[in-house]
Amino acid sequence: MHNILHDSVDVLATFADRRVRPLHMRWNDRNYSIKNVNLVHTAREGQKKIFYFSVSDIANYFKLRLDSETLEWHLVEVYSS
Amino acid sequence: MSQIILHIDMNSYFASVEQQANPFLRGKPIGITGKRSERSIVATASIEAKKLGVKTAMSTWEAKKICPSLILITGDPEKYSEITHRFNKLFFEFTPLVQEFSVDESFLDITDQAKDWFGAVCLAQRLRERLKEECGEWITASIGLAPNKLLAKLSSDLVKPNGITLTREEDAITRLDSIKLTDLCGIGSRMGARLNDLGIMNFKKLREFPLEELVDEFDSYGYWLHEAAHGREAFEVSSEEVDPKSIGHSYTLPKDTFDPVLMQRYLLGMCEKVAWRMRRDGFVANAVSICVRYGDFSSNSKQHVFQEATADGFQLFELAWRLVEIVRDKGKPVRLLGISTSHLSHASAPNSLFKKEQKHLSVLSALDKIQSRYGSDAWTRASLLPIVFQERASGLAYDHEL
Repeated sequence: MHNILHDSVDVLATFADRRVRPLHMRWNDRNYSIKNVNLVHTAREGQKKIFYFSVSDIANYFKLRLDSETLEWHLVEVYSS
Repeated sequence: MSQIILHIDMNSYFASVEQQANPFLRGKPIGITGKRSERSIVATASIEAKKLGVKTAMSTWEAKKICPSLILITGDPEKYSEITHRFNKLFFEFTPLVQEFSVDESFLDITDQAKDWFGAVCLAQRLRERLKEECGEWITASIGLAPNKLLAKLSSDLVKPNGITLTREEDAITRLDSIKLTDLCGIGSRMGARLNDLGIMNFKKLREFPLEELVDEFDSYGYWLHEAAHGREAFEVSSEEVDPKSIGHSYTLPKDTFDPVLMQRYLLGMCEKVAWRMRRDGFVANAVSICVRYGDFSSNSKQHVFQEATADGFQLFELAWRLVEIVRDKGKPVRLLGISTSHLSHASAPNSLFKKEQKHLSVLSALDKIQSRYGSDAWTRASLLPIVFQERASGLAYDHEL
């Protein structure tokens, strides 16, 4: 099941060695522990830099969007096996 | 020692990137499509889908018919574009001579770095490891090593996925004699048919065919064919960026339509996108071409060359719409519209003597600044509000930078 969303989410992340690594996400009153960060890519919206994290837990794939100006996290894609 | 050229071809590129991002797609037949999968084509099929008969550029309904379990994924051009930049940057760790051949293919001249064929194979293996570290385990490449670009590209095609294939000068003839004429980059199906008409069915026959007769038939291309049949090619790896010959955009409409207003809206939207890219990159155009494709997949096209160069979307639209009205078969519904500018030169649009046009140019310049700062959605014409352009990943170019 593949869903495209734009849901604001709370993310607990580490900022170390010039890298951001999301560890946990809270979405729809549920906590998800991120098992793997599979791919990170960036995009530009004008001069604004957006980071996308393709991550997964045991059963789901999530695509998270981090706005580098506002530091807001959004869940933009979910795929459940 | 001759040159050592390395050709890198990313395997099922867009599909591999999606499988890297989403582990639940790994090992499954997937196809990357455009914005609306039902009116789209498979831009890239995963290795698993290819094994089940799905081919690149196949329509999605045909692909689904062949492989009902095929998972269609809408392409993500931003993601592919960044990974392309990432691996091309990585190649510069190995040599300064890197030529981007397409979004998923590059040539590297590693003559000085590798020294000999053994060194070349070691370098190719190291490059493959670095690729895995930078892009992920699922994004793999086939690598061809040879004394020229032609044979390097041919070699990378031979072992897929994740192969390293070496073709030395002395192996070239054997290699060429084991493939079809059309397997070589530079000989398409039409050229293959023309060669067959001359009785040339394979590379052995092509080598035996008199050079003078080849040149009579194909002009300078005849020389290239003769050299290629011997596994020779003179083109070097060039890292210089070449100016585009044209800048264009085409779009499959949400539904086939007879409605001229809807067509005008999409055409104007495309003209604005093309004009923005021209202004951003400092080009003006002296020619515009259009293409109209109908529901039955037949198409018409027309070009107009004009004196006063422009990079104004609305001016391009007025010229383009006139061309559409000349060629359009009004009895057929339109499926796709395309516009392209050519005869490009590096210049700014000429200043007008008239105040109204001067004002228009200054507005355009202000809008460009807004677009550079806030992105392509920062402004739009009111007449374009009823339509939505969705991004696509065609395999040849990306839309998101528009």
